[in-house]
Amino acid sequence: MNLRLVKIAGLIVLSIAPIPVGAQTSDGNRDASLRFFENRIRPQLAENCYECHGAERQESGLRLDTYAGILEGGDTGQAVVPGEPDDSLLLVALSYENEELEMPPDGRLSDRVIMDMRQWIEMGAPHPDQGRPVAEVPPPEQQEERQWSFLPPQAGSLPAVRQTDWPQAPLDHHVLSRLERREVVPAPTAGRRTVLRRVTFDLIGLPPAPSEVQAFVTATAPDAYARHVDRLLASPRYGERWGRYWLDVARYADSNGLDENLAYGNAWRYRDYVIGAWNADKPFDRFVTEQLAGDLLPPATESERREHLVATGFLALGPKVLAEVDAKKMEMDIIDEQVDTLGRALLGLTVGCARCHDHKFDPLTNADYYGLAGIFKSTRTMENFIKLARWHENSIATAAQQQRQSLHHEAVESTKAAIKELMAAAQEATQQQGGGASTKSSSPPSAAAAKKSLKQLREKLAELEKHAPQMPTAMGVQEGKVTDLKIHIRGSHLRLGATVPRRFPTFLAGANQEALGPAQSGRLRLAGWLTDPSHPLTGRVIVNRIWRWHFGRGLVGTPDNFGKLGELPTHPQLLDWLAVRFVKDGWSIKSLHRMILSSATYQLSSQVEAPAARIDPENRLLGRATVRRLEAEAIRDALLSVSGQLDLEMGGSLLHVDNRQFLFDHTSKDGTTYDSRRRSIYLPVIRNHLFDVFQLFDYADASVTNGNRTTSTVAPQALFMLNGDLVRSAMKALANRAVREGGVASRDQIRFLYMATLARQPRPEEIQQAQLFVEKFRAAAASGSSAPGLETGWEALCQVLLASNEFIHIR
Amino acid sequence: MRSLRAMSRRAMLRDSAVGFGHLALCGMLSRAAAEERAADARALRFLAAKQPHFPPRARRVIFLFMKGGPSHVDTFEFKPRLQRDDGKPLPFDKPRVQFAPTNNLLRSPWKFRQYGESGSWVSELFPHVAKHVDDLCMLHGVHGTNAAHGGALLKLHTGSDNFVRPSMGAWVSYGLGTENENLPAFVTICPTLAHGGVKNWGSAFLPAWCQGTPLGVASQPASSATVKYATNQRFPLRLQRLQLDLLREVNEQHLQDTGPNAILESRIALFELAFRMQSEIPQIQDISGESAVVRRQYGLDEKITADFGLQCLLARRFAERGVRFIQITHSDSKVQWDQHGDLKQGHEKNALEVDKPIAGLLADLKTRGLLEDTLVLWGGEFGRTPTAQGSNGRDHNPNGFTMWMAGAGVKPGFHFGATDEYGFFARDNKMHIHDVHATLLHLLGIDHEELTYRYAGRDFRLTDVAGTVAHEILS
Repeated sequence: MNLRLVKIAGLIVLSIAPIPVGAQTSDGNRDASLRFFENRIRPQLAENCYECHGAERQESGLRLDTYAGILEGGDTGQAVVPGEPDDSLLLVALSYENEELEMPPDGRLSDRVIMDMRQWIEMGAPHPDQGRPVAEVPPPEQQEERQWSFLPPQAGSLPAVRQTDWPQAPLDHHVLSRLERREVVPAPTAGRRTVLRRVTFDLIGLPPAPSEVQAFVTATAPDAYARHVDRLLASPRYGERWGRYWLDVARYADSNGLDENLAYGNAWRYRDYVIGAWNADKPFDRFVTEQLAGDLLPPATESERREHLVATGFLALGPKVLAEVDAKKMEMDIIDEQVDTLGRALLGLTVGCARCHDHKFDPLTNADYYGLAGIFKSTRTMENFIKLARWHENSIATAAQQQRQSLHHEAVESTKAAIKELMAAAQEATQQQGGGASTKSSSPPSAAAAKKSLKQLREKLAELEKHAPQMPTAMGVQEGKVTDLKIHIRGSHLRLGATVPRRFPTFLAGANQEALGPAQSGRLRLAGWLTDPSHPLTGRVIVNRIWRWHFGRGLVGTPDNFGKLGELPTHPQLLDWLAVRFVKDGWSIKSLHRMILSSATYQLSSQVEAPAARIDPENRLLGRATVRRLEAEAIRDALLSVSGQLDLEMGGSLLHVDNRQFLFDHTSKDGTTYDSRRRSIYLPVIRNHLFDVFQLFDYADASVTNGNRTTSTVAPQALFMLNGDLVRSAMKALANRAVREGGVASRDQIRFLYMATLARQPRPEEIQQAQLFVEKFRAAAASGSSAPGLETGWEALCQVLLASNEFIHIR
Repeated sequence: MRSLRAMSRRAMLRDSAVGFGHLALCGMLSRAAAEERAADARALRFLAAKQPHFPPRARRVIFLFMKGGPSHVDTFEFKPRLQRDDGKPLPFDKPRVQFAPTNNLLRSPWKFRQYGESGSWVSELFPHVAKHVDDLCMLHGVHGTNAAHGGALLKLHTGSDNFVRPSMGAWVSYGLGTENENLPAFVTICPTLAHGGVKNWGSAFLPAWCQGTPLGVASQPASSATVKYATNQRFPLRLQRLQLDLLREVNEQHLQDTGPNAILESRIALFELAFRMQSEIPQIQDISGESAVVRRQYGLDEKITADFGLQCLLARRFAERGVRFIQITHSDSKVQWDQHGDLKQGHEKNALEVDKPIAGLLADLKTRGLLEDTLVLWGGEFGRTPTAQGSNGRDHNPNGFTMWMAGAGVKPGFHFGATDEYGFFARDNKMHIHDVHATLLHLLGIDHEELTYRYAGRDFRLTDVAGTVAHEILS
């Protein structure tokens, strides 16, 4: 009774469809039944179904506007079995009997419509195309223009410019040619102090010291700027600044967040790895490979092996629903988080959207998703999925540590054995003495000795166990059982479709991919594919991220989305040129920084002339610098730095609870402390309860990839500046510093304050203004109850400078 | 150094009025001060109240959140069959996934009786709230999707249990803005930090001003809960005013250097707003003006009810001042409403702590006419199983439970939906959490399908792709 569907070269040829038994075949009846279809059924299908299952879109592979489509059905199976309403998925969906398959999604149709459908199927699903051979061409791949970002980047040639003496670096040609075309005159070069403050915050996230300002302003060497850039790039502070950006992309946190907030007690190792990698200018292709497949790379040294294992923390750090009752769902949710992070972070694509259906906008299919997901299904991220589930950690013990552990193990075992032996001997002795009737008094002297040594042994064992050497572990992955996944229909693990071999998205990697094979999950090959020099996305995405972090806006305004719904690049040729150059330069991020920082574009003033403001209000053309607020970490670090309180110790964990312990349980007690004076990157990142100062100033959520933090301007930020404890201690310490280091005269102290906080000298009227304020404030304070100290007015002044727009913005 | 450039209206005013160096005087000129305020208001216009999609029934929401999952079959949904079949097996299948295994049916240890003209059944646990049944609109067919606290809290508060999404209060703020520019649109008093924590009042990808402003956390008494950084330990307001004046001068000078800049201008205005908040919030929290009668009504005079009573009273005070969405949380430091065992002792203590304060709030809102345009929502993240866990407890049950609404726009003394005869599964007039959200937004004049925000390339809604307004409950 089934229709034979023959697919030849994409052409569906439907053979003669026999009319089902029981269906009426006489012409008169056929007319009536077709009328029934045309009047009662087709309009309902058109109104309620075609939008998603018609000529334009075939969600879940289902098409209901053709007879072939109705019979063939979709991923779930045959939509209509003529004559068999109960076997017809269409009716199952319409009836809302099965929670996993309810259609249309926005509400059940009326009983009458559903009765009509049932009747129509019982009648044999009469359709005008029934019983006729139909040859139908499936909807051709819509020959839309291919998304720009999926085509390989082309370096092109440098565009010509009129003002030939303006460019200082190749990229300036691209910027200037666009400006000239729109007849926008670029802003003048910014003053030295402005550039110094800008580039210093930019590269190391800290303000320049007054001595640096002085030296730079008076320097006469032509390469003073380039040398300053080199110094900054070589500073360990650089990795603390730029590694933090990457941690946003890697959605780094020290806790699970989501439903059960357990401590990721070893996540910090990944954070330190990232800082080290950025400081060492680890080639980006290598950086990506280590994070995706470090465990599969042959290590040159023992320490490299550990580093590689730590790097895979990237895949393991995501938030997980650890108390999910449905273990299968938990596993698929964790895999989904990995696929989604991989997509956004490295490809700039919302791959996660294809979990339930083909991507609505990008050519990423449901099958592509499960092809990728299979790679992570074949990877071991978790120890188990029993609530509260346990994530996997890799041992990163050194040979020495391992040896210490095995020695310890031996000692424990031999002590245990000795105890056992002694016990057995004692028991035997007791039995020999007759039926276990021995009493203390009747024990022979040897029994007392045995007891004594037993006690000693037990104490020794307890001591040994107490001092068991802690073996370091790191969150990360290893290979799991290699498996291909079935398509999860509408994302549900309860309805499975066809198996998809592990593979990369076909629209990028092609249809004929070499099989990933049963020996490996495919992560290493995945990394290889992503870092292939010809990959259209990986290079562009990271180059655009770097640009975003330098300028506050990417050449593509949506750094995590290069898909159809992402923004178009403002300077497509520039982006391509940079991407090609970057890959050619061995994926070196520091070279990329130099390329950007040496440009005239980077060093422009933020001054805006009226015509430029009119033609390009949002500075899309890059004709000037954009005034930008510092990020949360830079605000805190700057407060600590200018007040001389910053502790520059690197690395390690500041988490107050042990690995896998609750950060928060039902008591809602917050044990995390942030009173450390270390750089912000080392403070614990607690999902669901971020450090409030960070949260105030738009820190990334730490649960999802975010390469494009927002900058909000909300009242609680002002409250913090007025009343925050961090500001209070900074203003106090800064006032002390001014007295200590500024000199005796008040105008010198004011000069010191301006240099320390704003990297510039105060104007004469500003000195006067500050002096007046200090006096006035002290007088006003004196009229209160307690006599204010001399420092009161200075502290108040310091707070104003720290709260000022100029302090927390770079321009 | 300074080139001619476009000047902000504000900077122009400065220069033309008094010129550089005498800016402090400027603030004293009343006309200039008025201009300043107007400029500040423009800089902060994103906060201003917004028009809803259609005339709203409710102007604000007070959500009384019972953390842990109060049992519906022991409070507001009477199940005679459960009482009768105590100890017998459940005559139908339990859900495919359960949080923990349960045994046979367990009758409610409390007696139910009918109250009010509506004749609504309420158990002995809520004798005070019972007196207000004719004002309540009971939703007995509510159901969620997640059987664990974390997922269920996130689902209830954000509509999603596995993605990071804005909370419902944030959506309401985003949709309607604030009615009082000196206060946030959304406050949450003593929220729990467990099970989603901040995400339950966060703004996710919505603008940061939409997020809930917490007053303390669940681990502290309501009497010590306040908005962080709202008070200065060092300088009194009088001295701070001097700092603010200097700050404004310094910032105006900077603005001249940079040229017009909307963000810098709003930041100048924000310091003034923050300064006003510093006086407004302590005023709201200062309840010394409340009469003895009112205090008694909320149970402030008894130890067992004083803490939640204060939360309820603060909710009313924030409501009066124009806050849009006020959440208060009952979440003790033991196991909250999560009685996997010792149902009797646990629920009795919890109910005692909240019953009188809630009744007091309802009565007070009614007296003041606030109930007419305030929607009160009561409920936990799920209900509990009619079957026993251990000998005397109940497990989580997201499959069917009761929430209730009262006030603006909902039918009073009305019962909507029901679970099966034992209370396990929502059966009639089911309302998924998405439907509760859709209905809540509807009452505020918002079409839940129209309130969208574009993020990561698509439009997001509180109700995702679901949600149906329960028109049947609208008055």
